[in-house]
Amino acid sequence: MRQAGAYSNLLCGGISGRTGPHSLPLARIKKIMKNSSEDVKMISGVAPIVFSKACEIFIEELTRRSWIMAIDGKRRTLNKEDIASAVIATDIFDFLITLVSNSDATDDTTVIQMETT
Amino acid sequence: MSEAPASPGGGSHESGEHSPRSNIREQDRFLPIANISRIMKKALPANGKIAKDAKETVQECVSEFISFITSEASDKCQREKRKTINGDDLLWAMATLGFEDYIDPLKIYLTRYREMEGDTKGSAKGDTSAKKDVQQGSNPQLAHQGSFSQGVSYANAQGQHMMVPMQGPE
Repeated sequence: MRQAGAYSNLLCGGISGRTGPHSLPLARIKKIMKNSSEDVKMISGVAPIVFSKACEIFIEELTRRSWIMAIDGKRRTLNKEDIASAVIATDIFDFLITLVSNSDATDDTTVIQMETT
Repeated sequence: MSEAPASPGGGSHESGEHSPRSNIREQDRFLPIANISRIMKKALPANGKIAKDAKETVQECVSEFISFITSEASDKCQREKRKTINGDDLLWAMATLGFEDYIDPLKIYLTRYREMEGDTKGSAKGDTSAKKDVQQGSNPQLAHQGSFSQGVSYANAQGQHMMVPMQGPE
């Protein structure tokens, strides 16, 4: 006999903690992957699945580290500055530093790039 | 120019798909904020709250994370003259860029996912790589490892980089 119950239970609670198998939409992940570089031509079916879990771990880690910053500031509401502080304090998040330090200016720079090209 | 873009992404319609880089729609650049918010809440204590600007910042960070890892994996594919980015390329890129702690949970996730896929689809259309291994190896133990091999193969090649502590899944 197959034990479908055991596996579906694994997926419901064990992996993502909710009813769907993936907590993030795979089609959207694939689009973001394709947008990241013109060199990205083909993506294997398993790649967005890897990212659905990787992004979940990433979001949880970033949130936990940001929460420590909020607690340090004696607050119980996570805000943008907490995310920025966590990014600056964490080596592996170095690639996010420009994003969190001038995220208000990103729209402007996009316009400039589009006008000059 | 009469068609100078006033605001990027703003006012773009469904028909504007043929300029992939310059005019990407908002909903194509980010994951849904509701999903992001749900995952963030899981990582906080029950009394923790999240401001809207924090959710939006994390939303941007996640897209940046995907691009960061994908670009590294894509470079590797180009160096090796392959066209398709696969799961191992992503795991390799994560390990290279400092996210080696993610590898073990991801491999567990993939193994469970493949078991589930095999279970729901039956034997008609399983994972091809796993099947190949089953046919090649007459030893049932080898066959069992087959579903894992795709995720692990790169680790054998550069085992010295794998500093992940061998802890079981919580």
